[in-house]
Amino acid sequence: MIAAGRPFWPLFLHVLGAMTLFGGILTVAILSGVAWRRPGVPVLPRAAFVALLVTLPDYIVMRLGAGWIYSKEGYSGHHDPTWLGIGFGVADGGLVILLLLLGAGFWWRRSGRAVAGHIVAGLSGVYLLLLAVAWLAMSGKWGA
Amino acid sequence: MFHITAAFLLVGGAVAAGILNTLAITSVRPSDSALLLRLVRTALPLMYIGALGTLVFGLVLWHDRSYSLGAAWLWLSLVLWVLANALGGIGGRYQGRARKLAEQLAAKDDAPSDELRALLRDRRGNAYSYAAGLALLAILVLMIWKPGS
Repeated sequence: MIAAGRPFWPLFLHVLGAMTLFGGILTVAILSGVAWRRPGVPVLPRAAFVALLVTLPDYIVMRLGAGWIYSKEGYSGHHDPTWLGIGFGVADGGLVILLLLLGAGFWWRRSGRAVAGHIVAGLSGVYLLLLAVAWLAMSGKWGA
Repeated sequence: MFHITAAFLLVGGAVAAGILNTLAITSVRPSDSALLLRLVRTALPLMYIGALGTLVFGLVLWHDRSYSLGAAWLWLSLVLWVLANALGGIGGRYQGRARKLAEQLAAKDDAPSDELRALLRDRRGNAYSYAAGLALLAILVLMIWKPGS
C-alpha cells in the first residue's frame, strides 16, 4: 500500500522504475561480488555489463516519474520536505554513480582486470545503500 | 515503510533472478549457464523475506488504515500474491533442472548442448516465471491505484 489519493501514472512509473533499478544494481553487485572471490571468469564481467545496460531505461523511467509527480503535486523547490530532498539527491547523485558504473563495467568487460571488477562491486554496493536510504526516506516521509 | 521495503526486496530479487536467468539462457557454454543459474539462488533469500514482509506488513496496514474487510482490491492482491509465489516456485523448478544438467555437462566436456538449450528455453517453464512477474506487476498496480477506496 503505497499512497492514497496520489496521481497513478507518475507514481506507478516512479516506483516501478526504482524497483527494477534496484533489481538491476543488485544483479551487478551479485556478479561483481562473486568475481571478487573468483577472478578470471569471463562470463561475470560480460553479464555485469549487460545488467548495467538494463538499468539505464529503469533509471530514466524512475527519474521521469519523479519529475512528473513533483510537478503534479505542486512542489516549488521552496520549503520542500526532507524526504523529497533525499529522494532527488539520490536520484540525481545516482546518475553520476550509474555513469561511473557503466564506465567501470565497460572497462572490466574489455580488460577483464580484477581492479575494474572491484570498482564495479564497490560502486554497486554504495548505490544499493543509497537506493535503500531513498526508499526508506520517501516511504517513511522523513521530515514531513 | 516496512511494507515498501519488503516490496523492494521482493521485486528487486525477482528482477535480479530474471536477469540472471535470461543471461543463462543466452550463454553458450554450460559452465556459464550453470554459474549464472547458481547465482539466481543468491537472490532467493531477499525474495523470501520480501514475500513474507509484504504479506505481514500488508495485513497490518489493512487493519491500521481501517480498509474494509470487503475491499476487493486487497483480496485480489492476496490472490495475486499466492499466484506469484506458486508460479515463481514452479518456474524455479524448471531452472533447477536446467542448472543440474548444465553442471553435469560442465563437469564432462563443457560443450554446447541442444538438450540444455531446449531445457533453458522451455516455453512452459519460462511462461511460469513470466506469469509470476506479471502477477507482481498487477499487485503493484493495485497497491498504487487502490480501486474503490
